[in-house]
Amino acid sequence: MGIKDKYAIVGIGYTPQGRLPGRTALGFHLEACANAIADAGLKKNDIDGLICYRVFPPASNEALVTPYLLAQHLGIAPDYMYEDANCSRSHLQNAIGALDAGFCNYVLLSYGHNAASSDSMTRMLTEMSPDDAPFGHFGALAGYALAARRAMHEFPTGPETWKHIAVGQRKWANLNPRATMFKRSMTFDDYDNAPPLVEPFRLFDACLTTDGGRAMIITSAERAHNLKNPPVYIMGIGQHNPSYDIKQATHATGPTGAQKAGKRAFNMAGISIADVDACEIYDCFTYTVEITLQDYGFFKPGEGKEWLQDGTIEPGGRMPVNTSGGLLSEAYFMGLTPISEAAMQLMGRCEERQLGPRTKTKSPEIILCSDNGAILQTHSAIILRR
Amino acid sequence: MDDDLKPLPVINDDNRDFWNGCRNHELRFQKCEQCGHVRWPASLICPVCFCRAFNWIVSEGRGRIYTFVVYHVAYHPGFQDDLPYVVAVVELTEGPRLLTNIAECPIDEISCDMPVEVTWRDVNKEISLPLFRPAVSV
Ligand SMILES: [Zn+2]
Repeated sequence: MGIKDKYAIVGIGYTPQGRLPGRTALGFHLEACANAIADAGLKKNDIDGLICYRVFPPASNEALVTPYLLAQHLGIAPDYMYEDANCSRSHLQNAIGALDAGFCNYVLLSYGHNAASSDSMTRMLTEMSPDDAPFGHFGALAGYALAARRAMHEFPTGPETWKHIAVGQRKWANLNPRATMFKRSMTFDDYDNAPPLVEPFRLFDACLTTDGGRAMIITSAERAHNLKNPPVYIMGIGQHNPSYDIKQATHATGPTGAQKAGKRAFNMAGISIADVDACEIYDCFTYTVEITLQDYGFFKPGEGKEWLQDGTIEPGGRMPVNTSGGLLSEAYFMGLTPISEAAMQLMGRCEERQLGPRTKTKSPEIILCSDNGAILQTHSAIILRR
Repeated sequence: MDDDLKPLPVINDDNRDFWNGCRNHELRFQKCEQCGHVRWPASLICPVCFCRAFNWIVSEGRGRIYTFVVYHVAYHPGFQDDLPYVVAVVELTEGPRLLTNIAECPIDEISCDMPVEVTWRDVNKEISLPLFRPAVSV
């Protein structure tokens, strides 16, 4: 395909993250954007494309963070602008499309939220599901729990599988000073003894809610060569959107969108999963990681537990997964948590958790990332390389 | 259980006929005149064949539990006193799947594919919610 290796991630912007009351979502966006621009070695006026990640309802005392609000506060006037109001995961495809069409030269992709400290998440839970609310059904956790329960009925899976994901990712978080769970270890007993939230999920099956932001800059390979960081090339990308909600869906137990999206990404990259050195998988819930890896072809339905056991995804394991701790144990920045971590690993900037000799893992040349939205209704597979 | 606190269905021009049916303890769905597909949620066109003509049919109110979860956390104060409670997706014999609650059944006896039948909870004069209970006869 025509765009293989033509575009690259060249800068990552971090912010303080965790529980940080007293800050707005806009403020986190701005800090992440400013840091990403500096990280890439660019000036703000170089930024001529701006994409905001999926936006949640704002806190009741804040304005919606639109791209033009963000641009105004950054003091820029981009030539290309886009924002996802829902949950489809087209951000990188939009960035590549805009760059490839010549609409702009540098795309800034931003996410920011005060999910942990504001009333935004409560608003989303109670206001965004009017058909389901009369029955007491709210939000994504219970939606994924419905999918996971059906999966338990169709093939061998459940907490005995998922605990390897929760505990494995926590070990990576324990190497990442930025991670919310940096100083908190987790044993299988901790997982088993955690309180149930919406069964079959318990506390440690669920992602964090985070105050903070994350941003990323994408440009052409030619422009990337002149910048500060080693470019991280987008080798392959594919998307598939099964779309049906969990009530009418038959895809929630697999194949999810991951299967077709993954095939497209691998076809574009011209590689197979045998060439993948590590994975950064969108992990809103433990089951999401299992079904995504399953649909990418790492194991057959129901064989996840066997594949995961003995530390497969952990430091020292043969297929590291979610090396920042992920959405479960690092921080929740949508697909930017996995994708930015893949870029940082391929740039070799991950210090204690760096893939390679330091963590007794393969030195990464190629990392497979996923992004996923709604209740497994939309999926992007992204293959990045050094 | 404090029903006053619980959210009510939000009725719009697409789903009004469904909720009017519920008021009469009838589960009504649109059946495509051309291909026979029974659709839910309510919609202007058949998602299978794009035909706009349809007839309302009344479901016999029987089906099976496709999947279910057990809430141990109340994300809305109206459900605090119900904990733990069950939210399920029930697949009706006519095809559509409904999000609902399972009533009249101990939680540890609920399983996927279990046969169920509709039972009604009258919230007020205008609104009745379709809930499901274990089928009396299969
Ligand atoms: Zn039809």
